[in-house]
Amino acid sequence: MVINTIFNSFHLIGPEIAVALLLLAVVIFDLAFPKNKKFLPWLTITGIIVAGFLTVKQYSLESGFVFESGNTQGLIVIDNFAFFFKLLILGVSLLIILFSVSSEELKNCYDRAGEYYTLITGMILGMFFMVSTVDLITLYISIELVSFSSYVLAGFIKKSKRSSEAGLKYIIYGAVASGIMLFGISLVFGYTGTTNFYQINHIVVHSLSPDFLLSLAFILIFVGFGYKISAVPFHFWTPDVYEGAPTTITAYLSVASKAAGFALLIRFVKIIFFTGIDENGYWILSKAFNWSYLLIIISVLTMTVGNFAALWQNNVKRMLAYSSIAHAGYMLAALTMLSEQGLLAIVVYFVVYGLTNLGAFYIVLLIHNKTGSEEIDDYDGLGYQMPLMGVAMTILLVSLTGLPPTAGFIGKLYVFISILDAPHYTLAVIVALNSVVSLYYYVRIIKHLYLNNPKVEREFTFPVTQTILVLVLTIPVIILGLYFGPLLEMGKVSLRMFGF
Amino acid sequence: MSIGLNHFLIVSGILFSLGIFAIVTRKNAIMVLMGIEFILNASNINFIAFSKFGNFGVQGEVIALFVIVLAACEAAIALAIVLNIYKQFTTVNVDEINNLKN
Amino acid sequence: MYDVFFYIFAAITILSAFFVVTTKNVIYAVYSLLLTFFGIAGIYVLLGADFIAIVQIIVYVGGILILMIFGVMLTNKITSVEIKTQTLFVIPTAIGVGIFAGVLIARMITANWRTMPLNIDYSTTVYSIGASLLSDYSVLFILLGILLLITLIGAASIARKED
Repeated sequence: MVINTIFNSFHLIGPEIAVALLLLAVVIFDLAFPKNKKFLPWLTITGIIVAGFLTVKQYSLESGFVFESGNTQGLIVIDNFAFFFKLLILGVSLLIILFSVSSEELKNCYDRAGEYYTLITGMILGMFFMVSTVDLITLYISIELVSFSSYVLAGFIKKSKRSSEAGLKYIIYGAVASGIMLFGISLVFGYTGTTNFYQINHIVVHSLSPDFLLSLAFILIFVGFGYKISAVPFHFWTPDVYEGAPTTITAYLSVASKAAGFALLIRFVKIIFFTGIDENGYWILSKAFNWSYLLIIISVLTMTVGNFAALWQNNVKRMLAYSSIAHAGYMLAALTMLSEQGLLAIVVYFVVYGLTNLGAFYIVLLIHNKTGSEEIDDYDGLGYQMPLMGVAMTILLVSLTGLPPTAGFIGKLYVFISILDAPHYTLAVIVALNSVVSLYYYVRIIKHLYLNNPKVEREFTFPVTQTILVLVLTIPVIILGLYFGPLLEMGKVSLRMFGF
Repeated sequence: MSIGLNHFLIVSGILFSLGIFAIVTRKNAIMVLMGIEFILNASNINFIAFSKFGNFGVQGEVIALFVIVLAACEAAIALAIVLNIYKQFTTVNVDEINNLKN
Repeated sequence: MYDVFFYIFAAITILSAFFVVTTKNVIYAVYSLLLTFFGIAGIYVLLGADFIAIVQIIVYVGGILILMIFGVMLTNKITSVEIKTQTLFVIPTAIGVGIFAGVLIARMITANWRTMPLNIDYSTTVYSIGASLLSDYSVLFILLGILLLITLIGAASIARKED
């Protein structure tokens, strides 16, 4: 019986079920107790911890399981690769909910807090499916689930013009990108007659030369990925949306949604085109489509455009938006190597970048709470007025640049190792030059914090909880910069995908 | 009969291109949405035509059904956002909505 | 007979779609969109996808189109004849898209798709779609339910009046 096989594999999607139930619980709680919106974040956090517990229980060193349902060859898989990204997403979501509690921006929408947490939970569910899908249709639906929630969240502060504008720009670019992606999926479906990655792999493995239409189809699908990870030339929405959206959502989009997009891209490339692996750990990909060229061009464009555009920004949020585009470029540069070493670099980079970027956005949010501004000129002298935050911001910015002794250095080091291992010296030089350019605009914030004289004399104090949260994000950045063995071990373990 | 897969593909190809054309040239956000609907419909024609001509079973139709549901959701959210934009800016022309500087 | 119907529906679809992208008047465009969706539903019927054709008419014409008409009416100053919409870079886009369409279609009709002679079974597809939705795609079916809930909450949250 078909039904029996479905029921038998339901335990494999325990975390997903927990998140879905959490979503319903938030909706029902919000409806049942309209006055008690204070408990919603804690309810969500409890649900996330439960989902995390169920995810950890699934951890295995085996090659993973496929969720079989009926006659399809599996829609999603449960493996260490998905496990790593699920934990990353849950961790980021947990922090974002803690950020949301201390955001003054969101206080204006207090009566809509129920919707806010429901939509965040919806995004978690979508990203869970994104990181574990092996089916083109599941891929499309999960991307849309994430996107729909994030469109609304980007425009969540209805009375703010810039938030509404962010919502509009996001949905227009997003809908176009996903529509184009769907057309590409339809062409692949016509070519292969299936939507399962492994089945498509069986067909494209045998092609000896690039086929024009199939290549076009993969480029069209890549548009969707490019939009999710905001790679140039699909990045136009990023600065506007990141600047206009509530800061908590900006941080969430820049880390979690990007991580899910990368996980999906990696799985897509690796499973569909994999034909073998050589003795140095480089994948031998099918000749149906030359990923290496496309990825190198995109990654060079992404990091260069991101870094150079960031030089001229005066709004710190917008600057961090461009910097996050540049970071996507570095990670793509590691992916272009198409090797296990490159994957390890991406995984390590994501942990480091996630911590650092979240911390930077949180401090921007705290400063916005106090001064109501994100302009770099209003940061003048803040380093002396809020000593702890100033030091923390400096550490985080140094880490984003990738200088020792911070975690950012480790991330960048592994990207370099993977590139030099290939060896691909031109790309390595481009990455190095880009890092130098990025130093300029990160240091510019530090200069405003410490060297410029403050316009107004004032003292800031922060509640203990917010201080602790900043420390929780900053101290690991230093520790991981000095002691990164466990990070590497975890990274190596989580590279394992189902079927390999 | 002389009508083959190619005839359906020509229709979907033209519809896809017209959708892209509408997205690029139109300023009105609602017109851009119509262009997006064209793209989704073109993909749906592809899915069903491929699954019928290639004999892939019912899969293509199920996918088309999913796409229609997603298109409806997308239109609902997009129009809600557009209405909110109109309240704030009293215009729905995409190029006039640029408070965020470049 | 089949050929004649195909050409009728294809002509309806493409001509009305062409009108949608060229007309200056948004209201005309929306009504022309009605014809496009209708023509596409006809094409689905010719492909033997009866259920999808009906869903196309119910959801697109009955839902999405009505939403769009409301959207147009609520965001335009109807009284002061301002329903016109402007366009940007028409000529270069037309040339670019024309070339793209030519290449795409030329490649699509010469590609080696996995085709067989069309042998459409005109019995209803409702049973097989239903069975497939509740077995093969049951997880996605549930996921779509959650997606609809999210849409409902999200759209209502954005569009409702602030109290």
